[in-house]
Order: sequence, then C-alpha cells, then structure tokens
Amino acid sequence: MAPALETRGLVKDFPVGLRGVKLRAVDHLDLTVPAGVIYGLLGPNGSGKSTTIKALLGLVTPSAGECRIFGRPSGEVAARREVGYLPEAPYFYRHLTGRELVGFYGRMCGLGRRELAGRVETVVAQVGMTGAADRAVETYSKGMLQRIGLAQALVHDPRLLILDEPTAGVDPVGSAAMADLIRGLRDAGKTVLLTSHLLGQMEALCDRVAILDRGRLVAEGTVAELTGGAGRQQLEVDRLDEAQVTELRAWLAARGCGLHGVAAGGRGLDAVFLERVGRDRAGGKEA
Amino acid sequence: MKGAPFSFLRLGLVAQNTLREAVRQRLLHLFVGLALALVLGARGLRDFNFGAPELKFLADCGFGAMTLFGSALTIAATAQLFFSELENRTALTLLAKPVWRAEFLLGKLLGVALLTALFCALLTGLLAAVLWVREGELMALDPEGFRGGRAVSYAMVALGGSLQWLRLVVLAAFTLLVASFARTQVFAVVCGFGVLVICHLQHLAQEAYTRAGSAVGVALGGFLGGMFPNFQVLSLADSLDAADLPSLATWARLTAYGLGWAVAAGLLAVLSFRRREI
Repeated sequence: MAPALETRGLVKDFPVGLRGVKLRAVDHLDLTVPAGVIYGLLGPNGSGKSTTIKALLGLVTPSAGECRIFGRPSGEVAARREVGYLPEAPYFYRHLTGRELVGFYGRMCGLGRRELAGRVETVVAQVGMTGAADRAVETYSKGMLQRIGLAQALVHDPRLLILDEPTAGVDPVGSAAMADLIRGLRDAGKTVLLTSHLLGQMEALCDRVAILDRGRLVAEGTVAELTGGAGRQQLEVDRLDEAQVTELRAWLAARGCGLHGVAAGGRGLDAVFLERVGRDRAGGKEA
Repeated sequence: MKGAPFSFLRLGLVAQNTLREAVRQRLLHLFVGLALALVLGARGLRDFNFGAPELKFLADCGFGAMTLFGSALTIAATAQLFFSELENRTALTLLAKPVWRAEFLLGKLLGVALLTALFCALLTGLLAAVLWVREGELMALDPEGFRGGRAVSYAMVALGGSLQWLRLVVLAAFTLLVASFARTQVFAVVCGFGVLVICHLQHLAQEAYTRAGSAVGVALGGFLGGMFPNFQVLSLADSLDAADLPSLATWARLTAYGLGWAVAAGLLAVLSFRRREI
C-alpha cells in the first residue's frame, strides 16, 4: 500500500528582489507519512513547514523533486480528492453561514445534493457546531472558525487530513477538544498530518514526528524514539525523603534498573484548567 | 481512482459565490446608486441637451451612466473579488480541493459577468421606463408630432443595453488578465482603466495616425487594434429609431466580437494564473 504522503528530494526556492537571488525554503526533503497515523511536522518559524504543505497541495510548484499523495503526483487535481486541508488561521467567506460554507466546499468536492445534506449534518455535529451552524461565519470566534474549518476539510470524507496549526489562537478547552477530534479521526482510519508550535500537545498526540530546520529534515521517528523514552516509564508516588530515594535507587539497581530523575508531581496547570473550565464547552455550547 | 475532469458545475458554484459576495459590497452599491440616480434625474438635466432631441438626450444620459459607472463597477469588482480571495486566503482553501485553477478563474469572470448583466438589465429597464413615460407626456402635448405612433424603438434600447454589457464583460476579462499576474489590486485597477481608455479611444488614434501618414503611428495603431478590442464597434445605440435596428446577423457578429475578446482574455488569464504561487 502506498504511503499517504511522500516527498522525494523536494526543493523549493523563492526568488527574492529584482536580481532574482533565491531563498531556499525547502531543501532536499525526503519524507514518508504512512497511512493511518497522526504525523507531526515540527519546526521553528521559517523552517519550511507551510511551504512543504503548499507543495503537497499543488499550491506552489516545487523547484525540484516530487510529492505524492497515496502514490499519485500531488500536482494532479484528482490527487486532492483524498485530501482535506485546514489552513493556518483560516478565513472563510464571511457572508455564508457555517452550514452553507461546509455545503459549498462539499459541492466543490463533487458531492451530490442528496449525499451532501447528510454529510454536512454529520461533520458539523462531529466538530460540535450544530448549534451555531446557521449563524454567519463572520460572527464566529477563533475556536469556532477552526472547528468549521475542520468540518469543511472532512466534508468529502478524505483519507488524508492536513491540519496547519489547528489549535493556533484557540483556548486550552478548544485545543483539548480539537486534540480529541484528531485522535478520533486517526481511530477511524484517517491519516492526519499536523503542524503546531505546542510541543506538549504534539508529543501527546502524534504517532510520528518530523523536525524541520531551514528547510531540512533534522530528525524523524516516533515520539518515544526521539525523546529516548522507548525503554522507560514514569511512576507517580507519594513524596519520598532523601533517604527513601536512596533506598529506592539501590532497590532498582539490584534489579538492573536505573532511577533517571526525580521531580515534583501533580496534575499540571492544563489539567486543572480543563477540569475547572469544563470540557463540555467545546461540545458546541460556545457563544 | 477516477480523474477530475474540468467541471462546469464547479465553475458555476464559484460564479454563484462570487456574485453573492459582490452584491454585498458597499462600493458596488454606491456605483449602482449613482447610476440609478443619473438615469432617474436625467430629466432635470434637459437644459444641458446641446440642442439634441429630448428623448435622445435621455437615452444618452442612461447609456452614459451605464458606461461610466458600469466600467468603474466592473473594474473595481473584478480586482477586488479576485484579490480578496488571495489576501484573505480563501483561495488557499478552495484550490486545495480538487478544483482546477481554470474553474476558479473563469468562475470569477462569470460571477462578474452576471453582476454586470444584472446592472445593465436594471439600468436598461429603468431607462426604458423613463423614456416611455416622457414619450407619453410628449405625445399628449404634441399629438401631431407623434402621428405615426411612438418614435422610440425599445428594441434599440434593449440592444444598447446588451452591447453595454458586452463591453463590460470584455473589460472584466482584461482586468482579470492583469490581476492574474499583478501583485497588487491597485495595479490591476489602474491597468483596467488604462484598457478602458484604449478600447474607447483607439479608433480615434488610428484615424489620426492614418491622416498624419506617419508609418510609426500607423504601426502603433495597428498594434493597439490587434491587442485591444475597439469599443466603437459595440456602439450601435446612438440611434433610437427602429429603422436603424441591426439585422440578426449583425447582432450575432457583434456578440461574437465581444465574447470572442472576452474568451481570449479569459484564457490568457488562465494561462498566466496556472503557475501562480498562492
């Protein structure tokens, strides 16, 4: 089976200034995203993440190399039938309601009228926007825009989703809800390519990640492989004093194991926030 | 997996969305409002008729309003509706779908063509109503002068409106052609007005060059004639007399002339936009 996404020797240069000096945004990038995983694309600003995504979607023409979507050259219009795309900080037609917007994109993807109504209802409910679907898009908050954006990406039931910073500017409740949605999509057999600056969220969410810097791939693998946590575990216990820690270390050493770190426990601020603010707000009740 | 052939349905959806967006724009409301005001208020300007018959003067005012405000509306709408897609990044979402760039661009053109069709239909209808009412008043005042019945050919008025529309469609296509490679909306608007001036005045330039006998001038005139349509060709509406009504063949030839230029400019725009980086 062909990988969901593949780039081979991808290069993208942008001419800068009148002399035509070239700025290399992506530099000989080889990337393979297997089907059915959540794949994180990480990197600082200007590392080439968005350009790579645009090349994958045929929005920019590679200077060299090739991109494939499920084995098909990504420059072909037909290849994009398998892709749903949520751009960074999405901006949609303000004069449409959420339902009309999703319907419009559904029709653009070739859904027939009969099929469309059912699909629109399904995806709008899936992203928790049923209650606000008949409001004009111009009245939506940032979090709602992201969710209706995800609905338009899902409307034609693509096998691959490309989500560029899907939680940018979204509060922790909305962000957690988005993460749950993304996990649900992976569990339903979709492939998700994700970019984000929230490394903690990416670590918790992604099966595999690639790190880009100045257009080059600098690391790739599962999160456990990259963090060195493949053969390790974390235990949370009641507070131990210095003598008890020493005793535990000796006990572990006798069994061939090491104690690699001791840190204060607790649930973390994000867990407390989510508990106090309530996850149910993300279920479509946001004003 | 099936391919994704060019789809007129998708093109139509882009056009429909473009039209919906256009009719909500305040600047366009302003142009339509001014044009309507000029047609309705033309009777108040009768003293400035420079000796032309009153009904002819009213018709000139109506078609003048269509040309002036219709051209401004067409250029502004085409540039704004195209660049708003790029600047607001709605084009990014749309072109990431299985959509051909040609469907997107020609859909935009069709949307503006529908907008200008509504504009011309509205103004032509209003002009016809103004002429009808005033002609009725004049007939009551001077029955002898209208012994043969109504003097105005309303078929000519309708034809004049349709020719105005053809000009606006050609203008929209040329503005879109510039927008397809332009970096800024202002550049596209300025070039749009430049095209308008060339298309309106090139016949005068050609006549002047020919009279002067300058080889360079004649060559320049020929170049302009080859690169831009001559809007004078689409100006049969100077007369309101039914006797001047062109034949069906002439009307078809004029339509083919206008649409031919629009299609050619539209296809060039598609070619130019094909590899534009979004």
